[in-house]
Amino acid sequence: MQSKLSDIALIEQTLAGDQSAYADLVKRHQRFVFTLAMRFCKNREDAEEVSQDCFIKAYRSLASFQGQSKFSTWLYSIVYTTSMTFLRKKRVDTDSIDDENTYIQLENQSSGLNNNMAEKRSRSYYLNQAIGQLLPDDAAIITLFYMGEQSLEEIGQTLGIEANTVKVKLFRARQRLKEKLERSLKEEVKELI
Amino acid sequence: MNTIEERLWSYIDGTCSEGERQAIDTLIATDEAYRAKFEELLSFDQELVKMEADEPSMGFTYNVMESIRAEHARQPLKAAINKKIIRGIGIFFIATISLMLILMLSTLHPTADSFSVKLPDSFKVTNLTNLLNGKVLSVFFFLDTVLALVWVDAWLRRRRAKHALKP
Repeated sequence: MQSKLSDIALIEQTLAGDQSAYADLVKRHQRFVFTLAMRFCKNREDAEEVSQDCFIKAYRSLASFQGQSKFSTWLYSIVYTTSMTFLRKKRVDTDSIDDENTYIQLENQSSGLNNNMAEKRSRSYYLNQAIGQLLPDDAAIITLFYMGEQSLEEIGQTLGIEANTVKVKLFRARQRLKEKLERSLKEEVKELI
Repeated sequence: MNTIEERLWSYIDGTCSEGERQAIDTLIATDEAYRAKFEELLSFDQELVKMEADEPSMGFTYNVMESIRAEHARQPLKAAINKKIIRGIGIFFIATISLMLILMLSTLHPTADSFSVKLPDSFKVTNLTNLLNGKVLSVFFFLDTVLALVWVDAWLRRRRAKHALKP
């Protein structure tokens, strides 16, 4: 059962030496942190490693959290910087998904998954697949806005950009996502016919 | 921001101005193409709102807490020392030096003609000029330089860590 205490109260307890309070904070935010890390890393193992790393970093720096922003916004900025460092280390190809080779690779990957998980072929399944095909930044902005319930200003704080830039990026990310989703669904309809 | 989609997204997100909102309200009510686009974007938006977060492995929290505990166990002695003890030692030395100074000052007998310090008979002062030769001074300055560099390094690290994680 998760604690009903606020994030700030749990942070205060953690700083006073109560590690179980931090475990409650981890439980509260782990799903979203993991999802956000997935948007960058594109696979569960790496995302789990990055998420764990983020929570450990957050614990180490908890005393420096000044409470000027929400704890979640502060935590997501750690996820963003850690994921970026991870991507740089792994030299993951973050080029546009429109690149021909990458697209073929992802198409094959997704059709392989589709064969095994036919029952999951709902629209939300395709939506998740389409988000997975977006550039990490686009996927992260959409995830922060819709799942993280972050305002444009808070997303700007997390990503280190202006709120207006976030607005433009969000618009473009949604456009690209819509195109990818429509393309995936058209392919599916063709397969069915 | 002027394309229909951009205006509609601002309207759906609630980030447009009051005047803009009213103008879009009118357009949706009167323009068929506008309404169709609005409904299409709204339905897409609702799908995005319904998205569910991924679930990490069952032992995720346990793994995080274990890593934190392991890190605590590996904590260097320097970081594990209670700061109160260090402060106590500091206070002891400051108090001792202050007492000695008070003792010395209490033995001062300044007069108009001369200025002399009378130390207790039992108090023997070593001839410091023998100690302060070139070698001792070099070692003293070398240690000072090393300590200054260590302090500057620690200060820069703290500053960098603080800037990196400042919300």
